[in-house]
Amino acid sequence: MNKIKSTLTLLSLSLTTSFAQVGQPFIHDPSTIVECDGKYYTYGTGGGGLISEDGWTWKSGAERPGGGAAPDAMKIGDRYLVIYGATGGGLGGGHNGRILTMWNKTMDPKSPDFKYTEAIEVAASDGLEDNDAIDPGLLLDPTTGRLWVCYGTYFGTIRLIEIDPNTGERVKGNKELDIAIDCEATDLIYRDGWYYLLGTHGTCCDGVNSTYNIVVGRSRTVTGPYIDNVGRDMYHGGGRMVIAAGDGVTGPGHFGRYIIDEGIEIMSCHYEADYAQGGRSVLGIRPLLWKNEWPIAGESFKGGTFEIESERRGYALELAVDFVRQNVQRAGGGFGFGGGGNSNTPVTPIENQKLEEVIGTWPTENIPVRIGDYMFRPHQRWTITPVAEAGGFLGGAYCKIVIEGTERALAATADLELTTVSEFTGADEQLWRIEQATDGTYRIMPKAIPGQEGLNTKYVLYSIADSTPTLAEWDFSTDNSKWNLRAH
Amino acid sequence: MKQLLRLFLLSVPLTAAAQNPIISGQFTADPTARVFNNKVYLYPSHDILPPEGQRQDWFCMEDYHVFSSEDLVTWEDHGMIVSQNNVPWVRPNSYSMWAPDCVERNGKYYFYFPTSPKQGGGFGVGVAIADKPEGPYIPEPEPIKGINGIDPCVLLASDGNAYIFWGAGRCAKLSDNMKELAEDNPKEVVKWGEREMVNIGVNCLQDLPNRQAEGPFAFEYNGNYYLTYPYVRENTEVLAYAMSKNPMGPYEYKGLIMAEHANGCWTNHHSIVNYKGQWYLFYHHNAYSPNDDKRRSVQIEKLYFNEDGTIKEVTPTLRGVGINKADSRIEVDRYSTASEGVEYAYLDTTNTFRGWEVKLPKKGSYITYNDVDFTGANAKTYVIANVKADKNTSIVIRENNKNGKVIARLNLQVEPEGGANAAGGGMMMRRRSNAGLWHTVTTTVNYAPKGVVNLYISCEGEAASIDWVQFKTPPTYFTAATATPAKPDAEGFIRRWTILEPIDKPNRSNTVFTDTYLREHFNTEYFPNQFTIVPENGQKVKVGKEKLTWHKLDSERFNVKLFRFADGLQKQIYGVLFWNVTVIDCPEEIKDVRLAVGSNSASMWWLNGEEVLLLSGDRRMVKDDAVSPRITLKKGINILRGAVINGPGMSDFCVRFIDENENPVTGYEIK
Repeated sequence: MNKIKSTLTLLSLSLTTSFAQVGQPFIHDPSTIVECDGKYYTYGTGGGGLISEDGWTWKSGAERPGGGAAPDAMKIGDRYLVIYGATGGGLGGGHNGRILTMWNKTMDPKSPDFKYTEAIEVAASDGLEDNDAIDPGLLLDPTTGRLWVCYGTYFGTIRLIEIDPNTGERVKGNKELDIAIDCEATDLIYRDGWYYLLGTHGTCCDGVNSTYNIVVGRSRTVTGPYIDNVGRDMYHGGGRMVIAAGDGVTGPGHFGRYIIDEGIEIMSCHYEADYAQGGRSVLGIRPLLWKNEWPIAGESFKGGTFEIESERRGYALELAVDFVRQNVQRAGGGFGFGGGGNSNTPVTPIENQKLEEVIGTWPTENIPVRIGDYMFRPHQRWTITPVAEAGGFLGGAYCKIVIEGTERALAATADLELTTVSEFTGADEQLWRIEQATDGTYRIMPKAIPGQEGLNTKYVLYSIADSTPTLAEWDFSTDNSKWNLRAH
Repeated sequence: MKQLLRLFLLSVPLTAAAQNPIISGQFTADPTARVFNNKVYLYPSHDILPPEGQRQDWFCMEDYHVFSSEDLVTWEDHGMIVSQNNVPWVRPNSYSMWAPDCVERNGKYYFYFPTSPKQGGGFGVGVAIADKPEGPYIPEPEPIKGINGIDPCVLLASDGNAYIFWGAGRCAKLSDNMKELAEDNPKEVVKWGEREMVNIGVNCLQDLPNRQAEGPFAFEYNGNYYLTYPYVRENTEVLAYAMSKNPMGPYEYKGLIMAEHANGCWTNHHSIVNYKGQWYLFYHHNAYSPNDDKRRSVQIEKLYFNEDGTIKEVTPTLRGVGINKADSRIEVDRYSTASEGVEYAYLDTTNTFRGWEVKLPKKGSYITYNDVDFTGANAKTYVIANVKADKNTSIVIRENNKNGKVIARLNLQVEPEGGANAAGGGMMMRRRSNAGLWHTVTTTVNYAPKGVVNLYISCEGEAASIDWVQFKTPPTYFTAATATPAKPDAEGFIRRWTILEPIDKPNRSNTVFTDTYLREHFNTEYFPNQFTIVPENGQKVKVGKEKLTWHKLDSERFNVKLFRFADGLQKQIYGVLFWNVTVIDCPEEIKDVRLAVGSNSASMWWLNGEEVLLLSGDRRMVKDDAVSPRITLKKGINILRGAVINGPGMSDFCVRFIDENENPVTGYEIK
């Protein structure tokens, strides 16, 4: 009975632990996240939006007039462009939508500069045609400086128009182009010579039963055709999955991309229902990975016990302590493998080396770290745990990294090296920002460097040599910057 | 980000649809229009708002753009061609790139422009040369020697010579290279106090009305040379002209082409061009800059000659020229004529480029708008108008005049039905008051005109304001099937179906379409012989108390839009079940094919009475979403039957057969 009870407790724990954003991240159709004066903003359907000081804890408070549905936002020059859909007959059935743009010098409602310009219409649907002019997504093409908008819903086609990045007005004479069917809440992004159209497929607004998911097609030109991984045009309903239900959330929709650094990207969306938050619609932020030039959502990082493997050599981060041999007879014997011994002797498993067998050989004060052959020994096994009270960053919570079964914690030092302290104290140099890079490896970055002011966003855990870790600036082009977290 | 910012400065090719002014979003002045390669190219000056440090109340021009059009309605901006800071001899940041011209000779395009030189005072005239009318233009390193003045105009005369006019009407012959004055030009020696100056060429306006004359534009027509020019008759400029039998005169003054601008706009500047048999006057006005006449915008009017070769005076209009397509937004606030009391005003005085609105103040007030092309309109055409009114009213659009056929009657129901305090309920948002707010009204036309007509738009009640109107014609989704057998399309999609009008099947969500639900509800008999009937077009069946009709149709698209089928018949569109049948005639047996289906939402398919495919759950119309097991199309007639069910979704489906290699099967006919 006890066993059953504890299993149930574990089960319920796993169901209630949220890896979506914390705070009150309740939103539907969040815009692409925009940073303004060190804070993060996203706008949703209905008027308001969310603000976050750190990118992890979100609360309502972003302001946007005009109501309507599914906005997008972008910084252009020194101003912010907000685009949204308004419906003429109301959301209660009409399909005569309007796409409107407006500017603001800041997104901070408390700033004296906070004032939206009058909304300008850039597209409309008349309620009868095969289009519903809501759900706009913005793309500022980095190759041409031209500004594109995709919009539309299941009610007809997804359309592409061009607007003027200086005024937010429709480019005169620009004609709408149909680029997809059978999706809504679309967004366009550009990467390495490809344009990607991300559409939301399935059904929204049905709580835990919503089947929303995000699919993608790509094109060499912004005007399409947007083709999926099996050669099917999104204009024929094609699309490759980017993110669907899983991990206690259903109905991801309304994609937005945010590039944090070269090789570090996230995607934002909403989940129609977060089981851990009573089935409410919440903001989701996930690592954005690129696989064969296709975007795909990574998993939320939940912590666990891992080998921290360098991408450089494949060696593992470990305490610089004596290697303790396991006192186990080599099986078989002799020089012929499998030739010796009695084949009738039963095979018995060997236990892993235990912490208590070796911890007595370790110093009790600070122990430096190095990188060595992974042998799944206690000095190589790191338990990574989000620290609730430590806050977070865009898309994740700060974690502590300790030797499994201990509170011995990895820490940054003032001279940009690494050590471990015997007891985790919660100090910023013992907290780590762990982000999945676009290639699936991880970037591991201390929250602060002792003696340096403010948050560290520069130095990361780095293999300066095969066996030597240090702190150095993030460089996506070198494997020295990258780590794999392997649970094995 | 730095790179992005730099890219913003690159010009974006943009087009501008128009009445007058013809270009919006930027200022344009001093228009020279030329016809090259059957298109009109427009070379205007480019007024800008003066940057800091420049005189704020003076002309300010830093570069030139070139525009082109084939219909005088839609203009493409080909971007910047010459800038004050990319010509070697021009004083940087002099902001004096004044009225230009461009001519073609021997396949080269010569762009002439006056501006402020680094050396000396006044204005020089430069040349930039290109292989195409839109450039790229390469500026010559030096200005033309012997010209000190503004506003060049080059006349390619029928005597084989090129003449350049500039300033207050001076004219000289150009040498063959188009970059220098010819050697054999007359020379006048003028004394300026102690200094002697040599003026090359002749002053054609010397003895004519010429106060502050500038901007000469010369052309040749019917054996006459016309020298046209702005000058100040009283306080502001008029456009005047003189005629001669010789390019260099003497010219005889003939009178006005256009009188002073009524609002006091100081300058006018023009060109005259014949395009596709019609003469046009290009000129400028300050329509987008009412409080600052140094920021001007180009307009166009038609121009006509009298029998004796003299020019009929032209009056500026709002409407301008060109034929508007009925399915584009027609800015009727730039009307052709209006009744007394009709007023137009900026939509937004802080951004005049957003255009105007027109107010019809009372019952009977009207405007007319000429030249709207209704080609392609039909009985399903509908009108959308962006309108505003304080009280419920109506606007009527007639063909040509007040006695013309009514094209459409727009009812502006701006007050909530049942009064402002009407109770809420499901339609609450529809009952919001639109009084005093811009909103669109949409209604099907009573009558669709043929070809090009004028609009007569009148107010039939309380005052109403109009921003634009647009006449849209919905696409054709289906045509009636003929007796001729059809073929699958190139991708193998079957587009000919006999479709039963929708059966009422209420469902508020698509997620209920489980296999069990579908088997139960698709296997329910709604009408007799449901699984064997091969219906004729027009055949009726009884479903419950209702008689529903089969329609044999060819879909215009690969996906059969059942939603539009129902909508077109004004039948229920959501919460419905559609039955679809098609007859396939195979010349030979075709083995090992698969039926490939995408449907919105769930569907079930039977071939020759056997169930072959079920698409269950919350489906969307995705090409080849699901396929059947391998099946055989027998020789001769095969009956393919499908049922599509939907809750609140837009029903449609696409069906084809594919072979083992996923290639479409097309070797059959559809009866």
